[in-house]
Amino acid sequence: MNWIRDDRGSAMVLTLMLAPLLLVALAGVLQLGALRVAGARVRAAADLATLVAVNDQDDAELARSGALRLSSDAALVAREYFARELALSAPLLNGPADEIAAAADIAAYASAPAYDMRTGARYDRPTVRVAVDVPVRTPVFGALLLRPVTILHVLAVSSPR
Amino acid sequence: MNRGSIAGGLGLLVLWSSPALAWDPFLDEGRSEPPVPEASFDPAPFIAPPPGLYYVTDTYVEDVVTSSGSLTTYTTATVHESTGSYARVLDTVPTGASSAFDGSAFNGRRALGDGRSVAGTYYENFVFADGPFVPISIVFFQDDAELARPQATITPPATATPSRPAPPSTVRPLVVACCADERPVVIAPLPAPTKPVRPVISILPVGIPLTMVEVLRGRAVTLWPRAFADGREVPVRSWTVVAGDAGDALATAGSGGVPFRSSWPRLAPPGGAYEIVFRIEVDTPETGHRTVDGAITVVVRSPALQD
Repeated sequence: MNWIRDDRGSAMVLTLMLAPLLLVALAGVLQLGALRVAGARVRAAADLATLVAVNDQDDAELARSGALRLSSDAALVAREYFARELALSAPLLNGPADEIAAAADIAAYASAPAYDMRTGARYDRPTVRVAVDVPVRTPVFGALLLRPVTILHVLAVSSPR
Repeated sequence: MNRGSIAGGLGLLVLWSSPALAWDPFLDEGRSEPPVPEASFDPAPFIAPPPGLYYVTDTYVEDVVTSSGSLTTYTTATVHESTGSYARVLDTVPTGASSAFDGSAFNGRRALGDGRSVAGTYYENFVFADGPFVPISIVFFQDDAELARPQATITPPATATPSRPAPPSTVRPLVVACCADERPVVIAPLPAPTKPVRPVISILPVGIPLTMVEVLRGRAVTLWPRAFADGREVPVRSWTVVAGDAGDALATAGSGGVPFRSSWPRLAPPGGAYEIVFRIEVDTPETGHRTVDGAITVVVRSPALQD
């Protein structure tokens, strides 16, 4: 009966049993952190795109009425800059940045007040809105039998104030 | 075992790391290129006009009448500047001939000493408004000259007709220097200025009058102080900013051919705006020498994110 009371080697067994659990927990935490970084980048890309588009004003309308009004190509400008910004985070994305930007719902409200049919918001100034679903790779989640691709829902709204 | 776990954790960190670099819009331009000179001011993009219209590169400033001895020259002062407007020739008239556009030009058409109208060309100004070219005003560019001659309306010598009443004080006799034996020439006095002068501020030199303008923070904007008398535009001799925050203005005073250019790097207090007051000086036969104050409200805005 001495082998029952003999605890030599038990620490190694315990370590071998707990190490996989610890590694899984660590991998999950790291994947969550990477997902937050990806989310911050995508949101920053959308914010910058809307700001650039709002900064593009219709000079002819300004001379005519003295009021700021979005340029006619504001939505195109926002989409182009969103694609450029997303391209910098291409390794994190589950798809080409151009395709993700092309699928984005971008609306430019040249005159105000205006109502956003998607969000129901009321805009009192000329506004550019970007609403997009960005697929982000989460391989660790996939290895843990979770979703290998996580969809980030991003909404950015900008207007001159 | 501990070393292996630490090494494994570090390895995962290294594998999942990615550069946190923002997109640089000037990355393709190269760092070693010489600095690009500041672009000149372009108030409006060039748009190909239809046949008959051309892009204005010399802008009307004022009518100029100069006298050198017995020669009087009628010309038009311009400034070489593209204001984004377009023009076409309406009519070219010789000395004394009438035109269908007489009375339609905002600067009028002068007359020679003998009463005949001066020669010149009528132009019609246009601005581009999202498709059609909208006529804004008609201007007359005078181009003529005359030699002073003794006229029939001669002031008799005071000793010859002592009973005749003295001429009004506004009559200014001129003696032609070249001919000592010639008699004084009487020039009729100008009519007293009675027309009210209305100040106008616009973004374009022939643009629509504005009382309020929104500008983006730091964006340069051009304002033209203008004046109208009896519904017709009269040339501005000079303007001065007499009140309000002029921002980073290039100049706070100038002649009629030079606009007020400025940008505002700071926003006004919440709910507030900058009220700019211009003192506009005009001096035309219609209005006389007058100064009027015109104000415009400048609302400075900046692109911002909404929650």
